[in-house]
Amino acid sequence: MARNDISSLFGKSPINPLQQHMKQVHLCLKEFAFFAKAASEENWEKAEVSRNSIIKKENKADELKKKLRMNLPSTFMMPFSRRDLLDLLLIQDSIANITKDLAGLMTTRKMVFPVEIAHEFLDLVTVCVNTSDAALEAINELDELLETAFSSRERKVVDAIVTRINALEHESDKMQHQIRTKLFALETTLPPVDVMFYYRAIEWLGETADAAQKVGSRLEVMLAK
Amino acid sequence: MEIIANYGDLLLFMAVAFGLFMAWGVGANDVANAMGTSVGSGAITIKQAIIIAVIFEFSGAILAGGEVTATIRKGILDASLFADDPHLLVYGMLASLLAAGFWLMIASSLGWPVSTTHSIVGAIVGFGAVGVGVDAVAWDKVGTIAMSWIVSPILAGTIAFMLFRSLQNLIIDTENPFDNAKRYVPFYMFLVGFVISLVTIFKGLKHIGLNFDTSTSYLLAFGFGALVAIVGAWWIRGIRLDPDENRDFHFTSMERVFSVLMVITAAAMAFAHGSNDVANAIGPLAAIYGVIESGGIIGVKSILPPWVLLVGGAGIVLGLITYGHKVIATIGTGITQLTPSRGFAATLAAAATVVIASGTGLPISTTQVLVGAVLGVGFARGMAALDTRVINKIFLSWIVTLPAGALMSILFFFALKGAFVGA
Repeated sequence: MARNDISSLFGKSPINPLQQHMKQVHLCLKEFAFFAKAASEENWEKAEVSRNSIIKKENKADELKKKLRMNLPSTFMMPFSRRDLLDLLLIQDSIANITKDLAGLMTTRKMVFPVEIAHEFLDLVTVCVNTSDAALEAINELDELLETAFSSRERKVVDAIVTRINALEHESDKMQHQIRTKLFALETTLPPVDVMFYYRAIEWLGETADAAQKVGSRLEVMLAK
Repeated sequence: MEIIANYGDLLLFMAVAFGLFMAWGVGANDVANAMGTSVGSGAITIKQAIIIAVIFEFSGAILAGGEVTATIRKGILDASLFADDPHLLVYGMLASLLAAGFWLMIASSLGWPVSTTHSIVGAIVGFGAVGVGVDAVAWDKVGTIAMSWIVSPILAGTIAFMLFRSLQNLIIDTENPFDNAKRYVPFYMFLVGFVISLVTIFKGLKHIGLNFDTSTSYLLAFGFGALVAIVGAWWIRGIRLDPDENRDFHFTSMERVFSVLMVITAAAMAFAHGSNDVANAIGPLAAIYGVIESGGIIGVKSILPPWVLLVGGAGIVLGLITYGHKVIATIGTGITQLTPSRGFAATLAAAATVVIASGTGLPISTTQVLVGAVLGVGFARGMAALDTRVINKIFLSWIVTLPAGALMSILFFFALKGAFVGA
């Protein structure tokens, strides 16, 4: 007897898949730290291994994204708006996409930063990884938020994490500015096409921190329904 | 008259068989709704769930089922119109049982939404209006019943919303949810015992010959609530805070306290379910028995014989044993969203609503009330994802089941009439 209104009432919760997706995305960026290190040492074999791992993780994130979307009919009644959730998913996903593109760009161009800014670039990578780590932490609060039915107490926990994310993103902005300033001073001594792509790589890397920040702010919008 | 004298035993046997079948269907399917939540939360095993369900469904049917049985038996149709042809009432009620039973089988095998309550009510109204005459139906009563189908899920949803909000404020959203759970959960246990026993004492017990005045009733209900709370408090005393299990999810220990409460609430739900669904499944049997017992005289004031309710109880037990464990297992795994705290709020709201309906003699759909209650928790932002397509399914079940039950009972009614005229 295939009738039961009660079990058909419960849809699949999107919270765990969303957390899985963010975790995958964060792992992507974390792997990029290894990639950047290998690239700075001009160890392209090792870098290639890391890049493949990034691609694999990005694919997995894509799959999770598709699966989550498929399991989210518009008839779902959720404690947050479906629109916000889907936006959040897209923002999370962009971190993995940018990371994959950046690793691709650096591999094909065998990009090695000039010594004057090489170290700073790696520092910027670390800050970006930390930003996305904090975003993951915020997303991981979602099940606690649900349990308390989005109470003010639990929201304060998330607010604190979001404040941290914002501070990290601000730091990444500052570092980008420093690297660009130094790069500008070096411009005349370097091949112009390389310089162009240095700027682009720095910009893309910064975008991952921007996206992580957007994850935090979108999450806050979701809570304040 | 001769027909009843000649074929009374055969007719009664058929009625018992179909009443049993209806109760079996209720036991096999709907009981799982109440127990699935407890099994899914890991509070009890399937075996324990079935034992609890058997005890409380049974006592619900016997202690609090009388009013609903009375409605089905003599509330929907104007019995005085059958005074000259009592056998028509017997055919009709038999046809209703047959129709509801067949419809239950057909719809279930096709996976359509179906409610025993709706098919029985539709069937009785159908044969009454067409087989006997539009005047035979007590339309105002039918109107009240139809209204209750809309009101009951909304009422349950409202109660669930408020209950869940109170849990949120007193326990979940506090500094020490675990300690507060241990402090306040016994009060909720009291509430479960008090509400269920109060309605039962007021409305149900006179059918088994017990009558209490108002103050005694309140006192008894209070005592019963206190008893439940004491037993429950003793049970949760041993639950300890385990920091390890709370590392990933800070509310695991708190939910363990709620899971005890959930078991008590599920028992209340089983009781409520027994009082409504079983009662309306065997209502036609009670009507047939009444006519045959009195030798065809309608309107003789006869008490509902306990064995009729026993047939209902036995049917439920059979359903649970043969099929219930399978459905409980399926539901239990499907509703992981319904954690004990949510399960409690939704189930108590549903149980209270159903018991009140039973006390008022209104046959309602327990499943739909439970759906309303869960949606109520959802409105309080307590659920991750509820599929509101269920609401369409409920409307569909009203639209499809009522005429289907009516149509089939009309057919069976004329078939029976023809068959026994020939005899």
